[in-house]
Amino acid sequence: MKAYDRGSSLFWLLLSAYACIESLRMGIGTPRKPGMGFMTFGAAGILGIFSLILFAKASFEKEGDKVVSVFSGILWKRVLFVLIVIICYAKFMPDLGYLISTSLLMFLLFLILKGTRWWWALGSSLLTTFLTYYIFSIGLNCQFPRGVFGF
Amino acid sequence: MGFLDNIILGFQVVMDPINLLFCFIGVLTGTLVGVLPGIGPLGAIALLLPATLRSTPTASIIMLAGVYYGAMYGGSTTSILVNIPGESASVVTCLDGYQMARKGRAGPALAIAAWGSFIAGTLSIIGLMLVGVPLANAALSFGPPEYFSLMCAGLIVVAFLVQGSMLKAIMMALVGLLIGSVGLDLVTGLPKFTFGIDELADGVGIGPTAMGLFGIAEVLVNLEQRFEGREVFKTKIDRLWPSLKDWKASIWAIGRGSAIGFFLGILPGGGAVLASFVSYAAEKKLSKHPERFGTGEIEGVAGPESANNAGTGGSLIPLFSLGIPATPTMALLFSMFLIHGIQPGPLFIKTYPNIFWGLVASMYLGNLLLLILNLPLVGIWVKVLKIPYRILFPLIILFCLIGAYSLNNSTVDIFVMILFGIVGYLMRKFGYEGPPLILAFVLGPIMEQALRQSLLISKGSFMIFVTRPISAITLIIAGLLLLSTVFPYMKKRRIKYKDLKED
Repeated sequence: MKAYDRGSSLFWLLLSAYACIESLRMGIGTPRKPGMGFMTFGAAGILGIFSLILFAKASFEKEGDKVVSVFSGILWKRVLFVLIVIICYAKFMPDLGYLISTSLLMFLLFLILKGTRWWWALGSSLLTTFLTYYIFSIGLNCQFPRGVFGF
Repeated sequence: MGFLDNIILGFQVVMDPINLLFCFIGVLTGTLVGVLPGIGPLGAIALLLPATLRSTPTASIIMLAGVYYGAMYGGSTTSILVNIPGESASVVTCLDGYQMARKGRAGPALAIAAWGSFIAGTLSIIGLMLVGVPLANAALSFGPPEYFSLMCAGLIVVAFLVQGSMLKAIMMALVGLLIGSVGLDLVTGLPKFTFGIDELADGVGIGPTAMGLFGIAEVLVNLEQRFEGREVFKTKIDRLWPSLKDWKASIWAIGRGSAIGFFLGILPGGGAVLASFVSYAAEKKLSKHPERFGTGEIEGVAGPESANNAGTGGSLIPLFSLGIPATPTMALLFSMFLIHGIQPGPLFIKTYPNIFWGLVASMYLGNLLLLILNLPLVGIWVKVLKIPYRILFPLIILFCLIGAYSLNNSTVDIFVMILFGIVGYLMRKFGYEGPPLILAFVLGPIMEQALRQSLLISKGSFMIFVTRPISAITLIIAGLLLLSTVFPYMKKRRIKYKDLKED
């Protein structure tokens, strides 16, 4: 965890540096007349200080005997797959339309686990898609995209 | 209008069929969310935020509040029958509730949890009526310095209470302040941190942010583990009415839990979770046989379950009387009001009596509905518990996607949600907490306004925050909490509190 703390604290330090520079560009004003960037400069500055404290804490405290990666022993491929699927869904939903894109999304999400039969996943995805379409589009007047196929 | 007139007004409002329906939907959803591990009331309220756009503010707050206190009821079912807390305020119920189930006393455990929740919930609603209005009147004398200090204190208390590192929690609060500042400046109207993206001119949406941090991130964290079937304790659930002996053992615990929960709920950063832990610790301390706690003591169920429900009523008070959301969940309710163009604050109860008293009346009704849902109909929830996560997680993802899209009919919101989903996932892997971020995100713009106004009043002097008594006291309390992580002997006490949570 110490290595991750060092890495993450550097990330927050960079973010705070960026926010400070942007705040100065926007104008921090004076305490008498605070500008646009006054509070963000303060928040970013304190974040920078705390990032340095965290970095120092992670660097000088003794690590335990066994350092285990937070990503070891987990099904990270499953997580990555789901992320890719939902990003693609967001990208292509306006073009394919709600019905087609959601059916595909749900089919892939139901299928992701071992032992799930394809016909069960297909049936469940279609049922879920049409049910949600009915509830949200017709019942709650949500305007889902129709896509190039017109539905 | 007199007190009784207001109550009658409230019941007139809640008897509107739409409001009744939303009350039922809220408590049912809350119970469902509480029963099912994987999404808590915070994530559920985030998911339902877009749906509130199409309803009135009254119906919306009735529904969302119903989800919040409904989840407290539902969480006890999973804790007692499966030894997995359905939501974080039911963690301590696992300690004795599950042990009671193992001894064949699942029925009395569920019954006392439900009855305790009902009594405490009812008492906290009375407290809300009695304390909320006078506090709102007192808050009219609060100025920008008091508001700024209260909000700072609230953020520090939330950071103090997280399970992980307080340093990291404060960092997340600061990140939340930065994210909350995205959009157009309050005074000049110029864009801040929008990167030239037009959709960010209105700021980063609370809905996609919350759904990403608490919905998508939660699903991703669960997905990385192998799914094992939830082992629901196989026992006949009978004797859903507690015996005289059970009542005798529990009644004082219910009373104490109600008081603890209500007053802790009022504190910024308090809420149901803190209330349940403090109540358990109090019951153990006061018990003649503290060594029996953890083996199936009914007080260990009655106290915390009462406290977490009483905490929900208490936490509504700062929101309505001061306009300050005390917890991340209240922050989402606060956002719902802003979406409808309503500003919670000291004038809220006077300006919108229909909404306030309608909500109060709906909570009476909601608590009654929950008693019926959680006792005679507990069998339904036992079946729901057996739904595999492989079916649940695609549905949660789908509801998040629909929710994010339906806010503005824009896929930009979906991408924002996915981004915060990834951020939330990585935050959990690296030990950073989401609640301080989301609370600071909502409070940020109000804090900035209060800070700038304070400095204008004081002509640039920061001494205004210490020369005004309420502001000074609040900042001293916040300062002491911060220092407590530095002084070793206070640190040891905090570690003891954390150990109690981990046990």
